[in-house]
Amino acid sequence: MLLRPTPRLSLLLHRRSLRTAVALLVLLLALMGLAACVGQTFVAPGEVWRTVRGQSTPYDLVVNELRVPRIVLGALVGAALGLAGALVQTVTRNPLASPDVIGVGHGAAAATVLALATGAVASPGAVPLVAVAGGLAAAGLVYVLAWRHGMQPSRFVLTGVGIGVALSAIVQLYLTDSELEAAEQVKLWLTGSLNGRGWEQAGPLAVVLLLSLPALVWAGRAARPLGLDPETAAALGVRVDRTRLGLTVLGVVLAACATGAAGPIGFVALTAPQLARRLTRTPQLPLVSSALTGAVVLVGADLAARTLVPPLEVPVGALTSLVGGPYLLWLLGRGGRRQL
Amino acid sequence: MSRRLAWPAAVAAVAVAVLLSLAVGTRPVPPAAVLDALLHGGSSPDALVVRSLRLPRTEVGLTAGAALGVAGAALQAVTRNPLADPGILGLSQGAAAGVVLAIASGLASGFAGYVWYAFAGAVVAACLVYGIAARGRGGASPVKLALAGTALSAMTAGGTTVVLTSSSATLDQFRFWQVGALSGRDAGTVGRMLPFLLAGAVLVLACARGLDALALGDETARALGHRVGLLRVTAALGATLLTAAAVAAAGPIAFVGLAVPHLARRLVTSGGHRAVLPLSALLGAGLLLAADVAGRVVRAPAEVPAGVMTALVGVPVLVVLVRRRGAVN
Repeated sequence: MLLRPTPRLSLLLHRRSLRTAVALLVLLLALMGLAACVGQTFVAPGEVWRTVRGQSTPYDLVVNELRVPRIVLGALVGAALGLAGALVQTVTRNPLASPDVIGVGHGAAAATVLALATGAVASPGAVPLVAVAGGLAAAGLVYVLAWRHGMQPSRFVLTGVGIGVALSAIVQLYLTDSELEAAEQVKLWLTGSLNGRGWEQAGPLAVVLLLSLPALVWAGRAARPLGLDPETAAALGVRVDRTRLGLTVLGVVLAACATGAAGPIGFVALTAPQLARRLTRTPQLPLVSSALTGAVVLVGADLAARTLVPPLEVPVGALTSLVGGPYLLWLLGRGGRRQL
Repeated sequence: MSRRLAWPAAVAAVAVAVLLSLAVGTRPVPPAAVLDALLHGGSSPDALVVRSLRLPRTEVGLTAGAALGVAGAALQAVTRNPLADPGILGLSQGAAAGVVLAIASGLASGFAGYVWYAFAGAVVAACLVYGIAARGRGGASPVKLALAGTALSAMTAGGTTVVLTSSSATLDQFRFWQVGALSGRDAGTVGRMLPFLLAGAVLVLACARGLDALALGDETARALGHRVGLLRVTAALGATLLTAAAVAAAGPIAFVGLAVPHLARRLVTSGGHRAVLPLSALLGAGLLLAADVAGRVVRAPAEVPAGVMTALVGVPVLVVLVRRRGAVN
């Protein structure tokens, strides 16, 4: 449906996308609510509500200090990863591409490991900016290396995978060279975890997401012609290379910041857009639904990570794939109306 | 390099890599002594090092490298995705899950003990991926195969991570297998895998013409008289056997299966996959052996595992390749 609040402004809305987005939002809020209730101690929903609203209850520490910040962080990280995945997959036109494929996760991991090896930082998650810088630098390197008389998606992705493998080899080397304890620490961080994290990480990430909102509105419109082949898009007056660069930068920044906040969580950026696309049945990768799907997967996975095998806290990155994977497999097995 | 020279150059490179792999290490052995040890055996220290340590290692490198190269080329054709590598059907992660289970449950320790668990894990993963992708409309389309493989890989990796982050003893053994290396393999490793390697190679090579047709799209391949579904299953099965055997023997060595087919397709002027597949075998074997030898020299007397070196040696090559030509498809 076409919304035209003023003649100058028009907005094309896909009805099913809207319904899907609303349904996902409801699911996300329900999951977040459930996550606030469940844990080592069960807190009734009414009590949670009162506690969050600042009335004095015995659960202030559990709910306000421990659970809520972590749940919010999970939703933010998931949303950032889902968005990043949708943007990168749109640019590369490859459903297997994700920010990890163009070097973000591996760059963050390699930078972290190098910082550890040189003694610059004491523990993997201590200085999140190291990971953010590593992710940005790696993706930038991939872009520069793949740029030649313009940007071809296939060249971009292949270069990214190559650089990613080289960076991950550095990490592997550290894992086999280091003492077991250090290797364990790194392995834990590499998996991605929300343990012991909260407002400190959620604040900066929320700011990044807010600042990128205008860019995301632009991206939603700019991404559309990229679904066509480049020649057609160019004939329609789209500056293909510039649009691709813009979308990529946006995706990479979001992914790098998410990685800084929770470690290189895999799979969310890759699957969230694919799940969202199959739910909305749009030809394009839907940005809003991708963000919401990412948030649902991550909040759900962290809930599982906290509650499955108490008192052991499994790192959330080990479970994102276990939460999102079966669903994607089921969707694939069912097969949509549209041929892939 | 002129393309006519590709074949002789590839053969020569593999021969040189084999010789170096037998001669280079903490105890350098001159080429003449290497030949002498191979032909007459003997019990001199040189002969022992060559025959009992470096020969099995070289065999593993040759076969695993060749297998990964061929499997990568076949999978890139089957999934029509230049990103496809032997890991794409969940094979590497499946093998890793098998090894983690073997270590955690105390069933096996040491590289020789992992072989069957790795092989079984890889085969089970590939069957699951294909079974899921083949359901629903359109059967096992390239995109569905790749997505199902990625999803299952990630789920398997999640499962193994749960085990690894909760059991440090398992991580302590697993991290040395996971990096992918040729050292510490016993003399029987390749022999145990040989039937699977041969079967896989035969299946993939039998599909060579069909893979050429697949590159033109399913419709065109059908019009040319190929049975697309059967072709995909056969090629994927062959690639699965090759990869499972290679991973079982050497661990999940990255990059060989991804990069080698691209290089081979660049060097081949005619003959399509009937030329690309054998050339991928040669290049894969050469790359893995060269990486292993380099890993012995770089930080001597310590070694850098071959899995790390393939990446560090191969990545610059791939980047240059990708930059030099247009689209890689």
